[in-house]
Amino acid sequence: MKSVVTTVVAAADAAGRFPSSSDLESVQGSIQRAAARMEAAEKLGGNLDQVAQEAYDACITKYPYLNSDGEANSTDTFKAKCLRDVKHYMRLIQYCLVVGGTGPLDEWGIAGGREVYRALNLPTAPYVEALSFARNRGCAPRDMSAQALTEYNALLDYAINSLS
Amino acid sequence: MLDAFSRAVVAADASTSPITDLSSLKAFVAEGNRRLDAVNAIASNASCMVSDAIAGMICENQGLIQAGGNCYPNRRMAACLRDGEIVLRYISYALLAGDASVLDDRCLNGLKETYAALGVPTTSTVRAVQIMKAQAAAHIKDEPSEARAGKRLRKMGSPVTGDRCASLVAEASGYFDRVISALS
Repeated sequence: MKSVVTTVVAAADAAGRFPSSSDLESVQGSIQRAAARMEAAEKLGGNLDQVAQEAYDACITKYPYLNSDGEANSTDTFKAKCLRDVKHYMRLIQYCLVVGGTGPLDEWGIAGGREVYRALNLPTAPYVEALSFARNRGCAPRDMSAQALTEYNALLDYAINSLS
Repeated sequence: MLDAFSRAVVAADASTSPITDLSSLKAFVAEGNRRLDAVNAIASNASCMVSDAIAGMICENQGLIQAGGNCYPNRRMAACLRDGEIVLRYISYALLAGDASVLDDRCLNGLKETYAALGVPTTSTVRAVQIMKAQAAAHIKDEPSEARAGKRLRKMGSPVTGDRCASLVAEASGYFDRVISALS
């Protein structure tokens, strides 16, 4: 799973090298940024349900047609699943904050997403809207420190860009 | 391949819940510099560790370098030194990542079967790994034996904390033990 450490280890292994000083420097960089990431992960982990709920509400507000008959948010089951999807994305973003890389989003969220949403007739725009709302909702230092918010927003941008 | 962080992520994902307890990972981050020093201590002494461990294994069992022994011609000795280095390299990766998955997946998976097919004696291999385990502990603690090293004594000079990095020594020893149990 992609993170700072696994990236340098895979590169060293491909060349048959012991960890060199540049490898150790890379890991050192991850350690320095870890405090901000951990802060964001802690905040998001503790408030995941509320964050996901607000983001979900925002996308349904923007696209009310989704509530019409036959659309993706028309039944209770569909609504629960939409909210669950948003929650999944936020959870994977929390994992990415912990790992310090995009591995969890890549492997468990983005890979195959396009095919699934197309086959099941789920419009991408509401996902983008939910994630964009979360992206613009955060405020430093009210929610977390500025550096932590930067890490959090960068991952939301990464998820948004993968859908657009 | 996983590291200490993605290991926690995989565990949390099994119950589709966010990670709530970050204390152990924060401790990992706080001790990060010591970990890098420990990896450096092994990587910087790798050549000495490997040659000393293989030579020690042979001195204790001279049959290995007689005709029919598995270190007998240069070709076999070279392969043995190379294997010692490979094992130590994957252990250094595991110590850097804080997780054994890279060692398991890329080194130990199938190693016993390979050695059985080639007729490589696993008891001797285990002895070489044990010697490297002792060396790694000494280098991480920065307490190499003056009596044994003599003039070639080599200290890292890195600042070692009061407990002589006991947790990292224990972790590294665990990876060496993993190799030993995979072979036996």
